[in-house]
Amino acid sequence: MPIYLYIEGESWLHRLHPVVKVWALFAAFWSVYWVDQPLALVPLGLLMTVAAQAGGAWANFYRLRYLFAGVVFFTALSWMVFYRQGTPLIDTPLVRVSRASLLFGFGRGLKLAELLGTSVLFLSSTKIEEFGAGLTRLGVPYRVGFAITLAFRLVPLFIDSALTVVQAQRLRGYEFRRGGPLARMRRYVPVVVPVFMEALRKANAMAMALEARGFGAGGRPTSLIDRELRRSDRMAVALLGGLAVAYFLIYYAGYGAIRPD
Amino acid sequence: MEGDRRTPSRQAQGLSDCPAASANACPAPWAVELRRVSFAYGASAEPALCEVTLKIEPGTMLGVVGASGAGKSTLVKTLNRLVPAFEAGRFEGEVRVGGRRLDGLRVCELAREVGMVFQDFEAQLFSTNVAHEVAFALEQFALARQEIARRIGPALSAVGLAGFERRDPTTLSGGEKQRLAIACALATEPAVLVLDEPTTDLDPQGRAEVFAAVRRLRGAGRTLIIVEHDLEELAVCDRLALLKEGRLTFEAPPAELFARPELVARCGLRLPDLAAVLKQLGIEEIARDVDEAEALVRGRYTLPGPAPAGGSPEGPAPGRAGQTKIGRPPLVEVRQLGLAYPASASEALSAVDLAVEAGEFVALVGKNGSGKSTLAKVLAGLLEPSRGRLLVDGKERSAAGRSHLKGDIGYVFQNPDHQIFAASVEEEIRFGPRNLGLSHRQTAERADQVLAAVGLDAVRQRDPFLLSKGERQRLAVAAVLALRPRLLILDEPTTGLDYREQRRMMALVAELNRQGIAIVMITHTPWLVADYARRVVLLDNGRKRFDGPVREFLGRPQMLAESAFGLPAATALSQRFGTTALSAGELVCWIRKHS
Repeated sequence: MPIYLYIEGESWLHRLHPVVKVWALFAAFWSVYWVDQPLALVPLGLLMTVAAQAGGAWANFYRLRYLFAGVVFFTALSWMVFYRQGTPLIDTPLVRVSRASLLFGFGRGLKLAELLGTSVLFLSSTKIEEFGAGLTRLGVPYRVGFAITLAFRLVPLFIDSALTVVQAQRLRGYEFRRGGPLARMRRYVPVVVPVFMEALRKANAMAMALEARGFGAGGRPTSLIDRELRRSDRMAVALLGGLAVAYFLIYYAGYGAIRPD
Repeated sequence: MEGDRRTPSRQAQGLSDCPAASANACPAPWAVELRRVSFAYGASAEPALCEVTLKIEPGTMLGVVGASGAGKSTLVKTLNRLVPAFEAGRFEGEVRVGGRRLDGLRVCELAREVGMVFQDFEAQLFSTNVAHEVAFALEQFALARQEIARRIGPALSAVGLAGFERRDPTTLSGGEKQRLAIACALATEPAVLVLDEPTTDLDPQGRAEVFAAVRRLRGAGRTLIIVEHDLEELAVCDRLALLKEGRLTFEAPPAELFARPELVARCGLRLPDLAAVLKQLGIEEIARDVDEAEALVRGRYTLPGPAPAGGSPEGPAPGRAGQTKIGRPPLVEVRQLGLAYPASASEALSAVDLAVEAGEFVALVGKNGSGKSTLAKVLAGLLEPSRGRLLVDGKERSAAGRSHLKGDIGYVFQNPDHQIFAASVEEEIRFGPRNLGLSHRQTAERADQVLAAVGLDAVRQRDPFLLSKGERQRLAVAAVLALRPRLLILDEPTTGLDYREQRRMMALVAELNRQGIAIVMITHTPWLVADYARRVVLLDNGRKRFDGPVREFLGRPQMLAESAFGLPAATALSQRFGTTALSAGELVCWIRKHS
C-alpha cells in the first residue's frame, strides 16, 4: 500500500512550480483564517473542488472521507455547544444551541476541512522533494528543508515499526488496555523503548548513508526539479494573491464574521 | 610486490608468515591502499582492526570475508572515512584511495571517489521517486540540472532498473531497493564501489538480482569491494581478503582460500558446497560453478547422467490438512484460508490448507510477498482471516479464544529488537511469564531454565542492547520459550548472523524440536531447509504450491526456479548425476557408493 499521498500525474496542478505550490498553501491558509461565515468559505471550497478534479486528487479525498466527515461533524458539534452567543433555540445547563452557534460551529468545521483539504491537495500534487526545493527557493536553509522532507519519509517507517512491536509484545501475553488512562500510557513502555532504540539505530545508519552520498559536500546543492517560473506560474501567483486579498477584504468589510443576532 | 601479486603461485599472502613489504617502495597506483591500519571503537581495549595492510589494484573485484565482529565493515568504512570521522575511537595507520591520502578529508567529499552501499536498504533511501533518489548525491555536488538528468538513465540501466524512474522506492522489492542504492552510488561515477553486506536482508531472488548487477559492473576499471558472509557468492571475485578478530589473515584468489577448509572453518565461515564436495573426493581443483564441478567429478568418477526431465509431478503434493499420524487433531490447522489486507485489490492468502502437528519441523518458503509472514501471523492469531477456518487443537479459534496468544504459539520476529526493551536479559525473559500471571518464583524458575537452554546464563544481568546480534536473536527466542509454547514460529531466525551464529541458533531450534516443540520456520536460506527441516510448505502468490518432504521439494528444480528458491549447490550438482542429495556429505557418500 502506498504510504504517501502523492499521486503521479501531469495535470496543470502537478506542473506548477514548487514555490507556487507553497505560496498556494499559504494563500489558502491565509484566506480561511479571516472568515468564520460558512457562506464566505464556499467559494474557496468550490475552488478546491475544481483543483481536486483537475489534479486527479479525488482518490485521496475518498481515502480520507471519514476523516473529513469526522472533522466537520465533531468540530461543528463541539462549537455548537460551547459557543454561548445568540438567542438560544435550546437552553439547558449543559447545552445551549442558537442560530449563531450552529453557523459558527458549521463554519469552524468547514474551515478545518478546507485547511485539511488544501493540505491533501498539496500533498497529492507535490512530491516531497518539490516541497523541499520550494522551501529552499523561499529562503529556508537547505538542511532545514531537507529535515522536514525527511520527516515525511520517516514517520510511516516508525509507525510500521511501532505496530510490529505491539504485535510482538501482545504475543508475549501483554495487555495494553488495562487500568486507567495514566496506567495505560505507562503500559506502552515496552513499545516505546524498542521503537526509540530502533529510531536511534536507523538515524545513525541514515546519517552515515547521507554522509556517504555526499550530503553537505559544500556549496548550495542544485536540484533536479528546480526551474524558472513559467507564465502559468506567474498567473497562478497573481490569482492566489487576488484570492488572499479578496478574503482579507471580506473580513475587513465585516462579511466574514458571524453576527450573534 | 606487484610482481608477487601477479604470480599465481605466490599470490596467497599468509600475512602472519609474510610481513608487510615496504609500502613506500611500491610506486603502483593502487586503487586502495591501507598501511598498518588499526582502529578501536570508543574506549574499547579490543581493536576492531589491527595493523591491516592491504593493496587493491584498480579494476579488482575483492571480497572481504570473516565472521561477525571480524572487522569487515570497519575495514570498508575506513575507505570513505566513516571510520574514524563518524565512529568515535582510536585510529592509526594510513588509507589511500587512488593514491590520495584520506587524512583530514570529510566523508561527504569522498562520495565521488568511493561509492558505498549499506546492508540496510531502508536507511539509505530518502526520496519518494527513483529518479530523485539517484539525483540526490549529484545535487549535493551542485551538478547542473542537465548533467544530473544525463546521469540518471545510465546508472539505473547498469543495475537493470531502466524504466523505474518514476517509481516510489518504498514500492520496490528488497532486491530492487538494493540495486537502486547501487545505482545511487554509481551515479557519482566513483572509482571504488563498496558494498557492505548488500544481500543480507534479501530473499534468494533479491540476492540473485544484486549479484547479477554486481557482475555487470565488473570491468571498466572500477574497483569493487564486497563484504559478504557467503563464500559461495564470492567465488567470482578476483581475490578474497579474510579477516579474523580484526587481522587480515589471508588474502588470495578464492580458489586458494577454498583449498584450505580448515582455515575457513577456523574463521567461522561456511565452505562452499562445491569446494566441500571436491575436497572430500580428493579433487584438488576448485570449481566456480556446478558445470565445472560436474566436469571435475566426472573426470575422476564414472557416474550416471541426470534424471529425465519432467520425471516428477509439478503440482502440489496431496493436501495434508486434517491428517494426523496418531489420530489426534493437528496442533494448529487452517482450512481454505483467505486473507485480504484493507485497500488491497488482491488476496494475500487464498484457499490455503495447512495442518501442523506436534513435533513437526516445517520450513515455510516462498518469494518475498508470497504470503509467508501473513500465514504465520494468522497461525499465531495476530491476523484475522477473511475466509476459511482456523483450528487450534481441532477447535475453532473463536472457541479456543485468545489462549493461543498467551503462550501456546510462540512467534519470534525477524528483528529481535522489535521485542527487547527490559534493562537486563533476565528481566526480558521474565516479562512474558509475568504477563501470564505467574509468581515471582515461577518466573525466576523459567528464566533459569531458558537461559541455560539458549546459553545466555553468563550474561543474565547484562543490558540486552549491549549483546551481539546473535545473542539478541537467542534472547528473543528465549523470551518466547519462557512462555512454553507448543508451536514456535520463527520468522527468518538467522538473518544477519554469520555461519557460526546460524549453526548455533539452528542447533538450539533443532534441540527444541527434539524436545517436542513444533517448529514453523520462515526462511530463504536453502541449506537451512536441507539441513534442518523435515517438511516444506512453498507459497506462491498467496497460494500453497507445495507441501511435502524436503527431498521431494528439492527434487523439483523447475518449480524451485519459478519460485526463485536457489538450490543448495551440492543438491544442484547431485541432480546432474540423477539423484537429490541434501548436503555435500550426503553427495560424497552417494558418489563413492555409485561410482
